[in-house]
Amino acid sequence: MTTTPLNDVMAEGDPAQTSNVEQVPDVERPDRWWQVVWSSRKARIGIVIVAAYVLVAVFAPLVAPHDPLDSSFTPLAGASGENWLGTTTDGRDIASQLIYGSRISLLVGLFGGLLATMIALVIGMISGYAEGTIVDDILSFITNVALVIPTLPLIITLVAYSEVRGVWLIVGVIAITSWAGGARAKRAQIITLRNRDFVTAAKFSGEGTMRIVFREIMPNMSSLVAAAFVGSATGAIGAEAGLAVLGLGDSQSVSWGTMLYQANAQGAITQGLWLWVFVPGLVLAILMTGMAFINFGVDLLSNPHLREDA
Amino acid sequence: MKYFARKFGFFVATLWAVVTLNFLIPRLQPGDPAEIIVKKLAGKDAALDPAQVRAMRAMLGAPDGSLLQQYATYLGELVRGNFGLSYSYYPFKVTEVIGQAFWWTVVLVTVTQVLSFAVGIVLGAYAAWRRNSRFDSVVTLGSTFLGTLQPFWIALLLLYVFGYTLGWFPTSGGYEESTPGLNFAFIQEAVSHSFLPALALLIVTPIGWILGMRNTMIMNLGEDYIRLAKAKGLPDRVVALKYAARNALLPSVTGFALALGGVLGGAILVEQAFDYPGLGRLMGEAVENKDYPLLQTLMLLTTVGVLIANLVADLLYGVLDPRARRAES
Amino acid sequence: MSLLDVKNLSVRYEPKAHRPLDAVQDVSFSIEPGEFVGLIGESGSGKTTLGTALLRLLQRPGRISGGSITFDGTDITDLSEDELRDLRWRDISTVFQSSMNALNPVTRVEAQFRDVIEQHSNLRGHKVTERIKQLFDMVIIDHKFVSAFPHELSGGMRQRVNLALALALEPKFILLDEPTTGLDVVVQHSILENVRRLQAEQGFAVLFISHDIGTVLDLSDRILVMYAGRIVEEQPAGALLAQPLHPYSKGLLGSYGDPRAETVRITYVPGRPPDLSLPIVGCSFAPRCPERVARCAEVDPPIVPLGAGRAACIVAEAQQREGGSGEHGEPRRTFEGPQFVKTAEESTQALRGDVVLSVENVSKVFTRRRGLAVQRTEAVTDASFVLRKGEVTALVGQSGSGKSTLARMITGVDSPTSGRIVFHGPKGDQEVSGFRGRSLRDYRSDVQMVFQDPYSSINPAKRIGYILARPLANYHGLRGDALRERVKELLETVALTPSERFVNRYGYELSGGQRQRVVIAKALAVEPEIIVADEPISSLDVSIRAEILELLNDLVQSKDVGILYITHDLLSARMLADEVIVLNNGKVVEQGQTLKVIRDPSDAYTRKLIDAIPNPF
Repeated sequence: MTTTPLNDVMAEGDPAQTSNVEQVPDVERPDRWWQVVWSSRKARIGIVIVAAYVLVAVFAPLVAPHDPLDSSFTPLAGASGENWLGTTTDGRDIASQLIYGSRISLLVGLFGGLLATMIALVIGMISGYAEGTIVDDILSFITNVALVIPTLPLIITLVAYSEVRGVWLIVGVIAITSWAGGARAKRAQIITLRNRDFVTAAKFSGEGTMRIVFREIMPNMSSLVAAAFVGSATGAIGAEAGLAVLGLGDSQSVSWGTMLYQANAQGAITQGLWLWVFVPGLVLAILMTGMAFINFGVDLLSNPHLREDA
Repeated sequence: MKYFARKFGFFVATLWAVVTLNFLIPRLQPGDPAEIIVKKLAGKDAALDPAQVRAMRAMLGAPDGSLLQQYATYLGELVRGNFGLSYSYYPFKVTEVIGQAFWWTVVLVTVTQVLSFAVGIVLGAYAAWRRNSRFDSVVTLGSTFLGTLQPFWIALLLLYVFGYTLGWFPTSGGYEESTPGLNFAFIQEAVSHSFLPALALLIVTPIGWILGMRNTMIMNLGEDYIRLAKAKGLPDRVVALKYAARNALLPSVTGFALALGGVLGGAILVEQAFDYPGLGRLMGEAVENKDYPLLQTLMLLTTVGVLIANLVADLLYGVLDPRARRAES
Repeated sequence: MSLLDVKNLSVRYEPKAHRPLDAVQDVSFSIEPGEFVGLIGESGSGKTTLGTALLRLLQRPGRISGGSITFDGTDITDLSEDELRDLRWRDISTVFQSSMNALNPVTRVEAQFRDVIEQHSNLRGHKVTERIKQLFDMVIIDHKFVSAFPHELSGGMRQRVNLALALALEPKFILLDEPTTGLDVVVQHSILENVRRLQAEQGFAVLFISHDIGTVLDLSDRILVMYAGRIVEEQPAGALLAQPLHPYSKGLLGSYGDPRAETVRITYVPGRPPDLSLPIVGCSFAPRCPERVARCAEVDPPIVPLGAGRAACIVAEAQQREGGSGEHGEPRRTFEGPQFVKTAEESTQALRGDVVLSVENVSKVFTRRRGLAVQRTEAVTDASFVLRKGEVTALVGQSGSGKSTLARMITGVDSPTSGRIVFHGPKGDQEVSGFRGRSLRDYRSDVQMVFQDPYSSINPAKRIGYILARPLANYHGLRGDALRERVKELLETVALTPSERFVNRYGYELSGGQRQRVVIAKALAVEPEIIVADEPISSLDVSIRAEILELLNDLVQSKDVGILYITHDLLSARMLADEVIVLNNGKVVEQGQTLKVIRDPSDAYTRKLIDAIPNPF
């Protein structure tokens, strides 16, 4: 929209005042969110990166040359047409492991991030809206406690007690240990929004508390929620890798973290098998960088101060 | 004064919550971890000290007694500093095992944390001041990428390059032949062994400070008092340091302690890779050997560490920002 | 030689994602040493941008895109930061808009004086402290606040400190950018008197930027009127008042009146300023101008010498040229647009409707624990009054006088510490403080609110249609077509026509006046008995305020609703209210028929309020 169409003018006030023509200027209309996000070059790069990973994960069986758990190859083979990145000590194809590994990371990122964001949202919103009451005191206290407990040691402890270490356990544990920061941010945000007149106005419209919180206030913090989701998802992917590296990953499937764990356990470094170590960490870092780049774009939504950068 | 009292009150309450959580975690699981360990320990040759068995049960749950009674016993044992025996380092007490590893991690984490804070703040502030310059984009993009690297992975790469290929640094452990203590040989060895672990942590940790400081400072630069400071004709250096950076630093002070938890997490992974004799490696071992008493105690210890750092940061913040004291009273 | 000489100055904003915008266009003026010049304009006129450009403090994406600024013989348009630094504060200083934030919140006031004094003078150590104390004396602030933090000062004190800071190095020129906006009338009055006295004593020149033509006329020697990025008129204050040239100036003058007069007429300028990022053909004021002729839509009027100064209006120019006898007729002093008139007769002939709400001996005490000591603040003391159907009662007082607390109690948000508020509704007499949960919700179908800031009282994430539909759905159970019809009706009631154009708009797409109409429509939706209007016009541009007042006035006449009109402004109280209640420090100091109270105030505080009204007329 660069011009105001002629018919897009509104007459206001006394009909007798024919001259009384008002424009509805489109400069005052904020850009749609996707325009803002897409306006950032970093965000564009991030979106492309993440989209590529998603495609690879979804079509892994088509992309991967082999079954990642097939150990019928020559162990310790170098890179070749058959095994693009060589093989592991027990004769598995590294490239295929890498491709299938994207599934675990994205799965943990998506669901871990989603769950953590939801917990943060509910606790933060209720606590912020009830600011100053006993409900807020209790929820804030829980949030603050969760915030000071170091995440990785807690995750390790929780997972260590569990005999079965499926991917859903990991998702759950990551979510319940990493929501606190988000909850605190949302509480702060809702406190500033709550005192805005439109919330009082909604009360005068006869709206109930839940409707005010989730229908009136929440739509105004969608950019914050989106940023928190991308942030939590990135964190969850990192946490999964950290767990797997310590041998606490899902033993039934291949992830980049378990690849690193295997590589270290099998002494890949001492044997000079640096590709085995280098590649999983790199693809992980690229995915997480892509997600962080997306958040540069999302941050522009909530902080217009930053928009002149990009 | 009220501010400080409140912060101290929060510290005590959180300590209680953390201790209680530590009590609950093992009891959330089906089965009885204490029983398993007691049985395993009994299988070893030495005779079991009944007091230690009691402590173990207090820590990890016992088949008898109500939850409330167990809780009372647990608190009692904690107050006496009785955390049970380590299963993997039997017959040593958990506290003794931890004592061995404690300073290795504390020194490593403190040094890297302070260094990364300093580096991060300076880079972040300068990037914000020279916003949109080449320096800014290099720092922002670079730190974003570095921040996503896995500490464990960096550690392995550093090991590969500087340990195995170039052979500049030792590849595992904390020292070689010297006797631990305040002697030159030991310190020299400890430093050369700690160098790569510290470097691995230093690559990842400043990112939070850089981006946080940069964004707060950019927001502050839009404030009226910065415009006024410029209108006052103060030199750029004064505006940047005394007005913008000083104010932007304040949120980072409270972040300092919370970030410690993240660094501890990173340290666990890095220590694992370097076989560094600190708390992180101990935690890895505890997980591998199902040494629950050791694991629980490590968990409690790291949390309390962060908690204390948090208290200090809050108190410091109260001194630095006059508004904080008022807002809370 | 002039002290400040601005020639053809233009400022352009070039945001990356939007069209560029010329916020200041081809502006020329000069200021002589010791002269007090007023710059008046409404929101979006470019006055603050102009001020910022003069201080060379424009930030990206804004930049000076043309023209020059010469200060004391030096061209400072392109002067480097290093060279500027010597000029700053020693020659040119400023007081920003009265925001919380002009002083660094984490350092003591003294340090913020000391750094600039030591930077630009030879004073050191104790001598600096002496100078600060001397400056504090000038602005009448106790020395003990020298070592205070900014948050420990009240809004008025903070602005005095900022003024003292601006005077620290005895500059030749001070830019005052709305220095008292948002402060209480009485405080504003005393700060501006202080400015004027100091200016007379010390002889610095001032450019005083304001949206309030009353204060500008009161203080300035010469006045610049700015509209849509241009200076449209420049005249000495007296001449502007007696013989305004540009219709916009007439509109601004017309929005004021003397509340004591027999018949008060206030005019308003319908419409809104043009979008400066779109090309404008002809005069930018033409679409809103009652005096325009066909040529106005074609010719961009140049600013030419006219009357006692300059003006940019081809009609005014033609009238002068023709001497009033030509086709353009006589020059007129008043704004020929719509007006809202209230005669003394109307004011005295108020209906005596039934009482719908009575406030009986109400007091409100806020207690705050500070450690062991309990601090008691008495916000309202023993207030009694009634609200009647079809009648407007104005509650007049400064901020902190307890008027908002009273509003909160009347709407059931807070309850009184003692005394009672009784609602005489359809269900008989009910005490408001007894309403909780469901009954409070029901009560709100009888009592509605219009807020001060239409920018924050409309949810930016919701469409206008949704906002108006909610109370109807909640309280009247309307659904589907009936609901849509009623929403349209409401929009028509507040003259947002045709309603289809507004239903799907978001609040931020509308002008301030339109937004306030939406808020009023929402308050009317449930056909309440009482509307509490909390300063509903104070955040609107002066030139459109009368429009909203007129709307409220019409509603009272047609809907038989009782309005509690909360304000600090006696003129609007006169225009709207039948009864006025003057509140000072939580006490009702005077109460009675509006015109009587304003003309013949019996209380000293009321007299003070009336004296604080800038009255150049």
